[in-house]
Amino acid sequence: MTKQTFLHDKHIALGARMVDFAGWEMPVQYSSIIEEHKTVREAVGIFDVSHMGEIIAYGEDVLPFLNKLVPQDITKLVDFKAVYCQLTNKKGGIIDDLIIYKLEENKYLIIANASRIDEDLNWMVRNKIGFDVTIVNESHNYSLLAVQGPKACDLIRSLGMLDLPEFFKIKRGELFNINLWISRTGYTGEDGVEILVRNEFSEYLWDKLLDSGKSFGIKPIGLGARDTLRLEAALHLYGNDLDEDTTPVEAGLSWSVSKTKTADYNGKSVIEDQLKNGGRKKLVGLKMLDRGIARHGYEVYYNNEKVGIITSGGISPIRGDNIALAYIKPLDNLTVGSTIQIMIRDKLHNAEIVKRPFVPKHNKET
Amino acid sequence: MDESMLCTKTHEYVLELSKNNYEVGITDYAIEQLGDIVFIELPEVGSEFAKNEVFATIESVKAASEIYMPISGKVVEVNEEIVNSPELLNDESYENKWFIKIESSADQIEFADLLDYSDYREEVE
Repeated sequence: MTKQTFLHDKHIALGARMVDFAGWEMPVQYSSIIEEHKTVREAVGIFDVSHMGEIIAYGEDVLPFLNKLVPQDITKLVDFKAVYCQLTNKKGGIIDDLIIYKLEENKYLIIANASRIDEDLNWMVRNKIGFDVTIVNESHNYSLLAVQGPKACDLIRSLGMLDLPEFFKIKRGELFNINLWISRTGYTGEDGVEILVRNEFSEYLWDKLLDSGKSFGIKPIGLGARDTLRLEAALHLYGNDLDEDTTPVEAGLSWSVSKTKTADYNGKSVIEDQLKNGGRKKLVGLKMLDRGIARHGYEVYYNNEKVGIITSGGISPIRGDNIALAYIKPLDNLTVGSTIQIMIRDKLHNAEIVKRPFVPKHNKET
Repeated sequence: MDESMLCTKTHEYVLELSKNNYEVGITDYAIEQLGDIVFIELPEVGSEFAKNEVFATIESVKAASEIYMPISGKVVEVNEEIVNSPELLNDESYENKWFIKIESSADQIEFADLLDYSDYREEVE
């Protein structure tokens, strides 16, 4: 039985094509993925991402508990600050990638992937022995709306919220007399906010934002464009680019691993060894040189030897070319500028290793 | 769409142009379902295909799809315009949405499982 968000009827009324995603019936596109993509890069788009999980963790020991779960140093978080991190297993593999927000002393909000919420909760419960901590899955109570694009913050300010949270911060606020949490985060590489609101207010808020956003050029954006936007920004998608056999170091996420944390955490020995000596594989960005689109699962070759696999691939509507993320063997001669080959329908196609992200990010202005 | 075209359940169509000469492409319904089309790979002129053999690949933003021959035949012309600008397939004002033109000596048996356009629409809707 697929689940529906509280905005389901809104999507249908807007003419969305609905697909199953992680057990949820979600809008994949309203008009055209490419048009929706450009709307977010040029103006502002609104996304229903209510399928994402919300977990509250609180209690006397919540800080040491969370610090055991992720390679980031959670003790560094001040009130209302957020951090991107990964839930790692004992081998350093990624169970899920998360954003953790400090709401108040001994109380944290964890935003998790819809497809991983059950695994996350199981893992947290297994790890809480000996800690005075309570874990509550609040996912069924909250809707999450993302408002993203260069005009996203102008739109929110025009609604009376002049004091927006800074990048990767969250605050309590009010829009249209509705109490909500608003954070300066997103999954597009653009500036913007994500709004956490109780389900009963989500339809009203959605309508009001779409209506007020008209003069800013707002459009509803489906999961199709969400995927092309995050790929251009080289943001990982769990299940494609991240899994339990991949460590944060291998995924190019070493920046999100604390180098100074003294506390032990799951997978620390493996991750610290990889920080020094490198992983078993490395994530690279690719742009196609030959005509063709690299897709998830296609093989990567170098000198006729299989050296890796594509984890995400598609078109870049902004660059106008075809891009991909791949894991390759950590060979010294495979670096930015190297040409490698992708097997597409039994033929090798040239691609070049390029820097990530594929388009410049614009999400750190305040 | 030309109402005299014949369609497959996998959304290809074949349209008779003159005796033994046909145009092959995909249906308007298929294009609508695919959404933004971003890549088309067509065969070379002169290549020959059996009925139901893959002759082309079409990719939308989301995924790649293989396109099958509705009848057997030899390619005599390919639509280079859509290869160079796949987005033309999504343009309602653009009319030349055919993929390839073929010469075919297909017999009645090959046509037996093809559907009239109206039956096809009923089938897919």
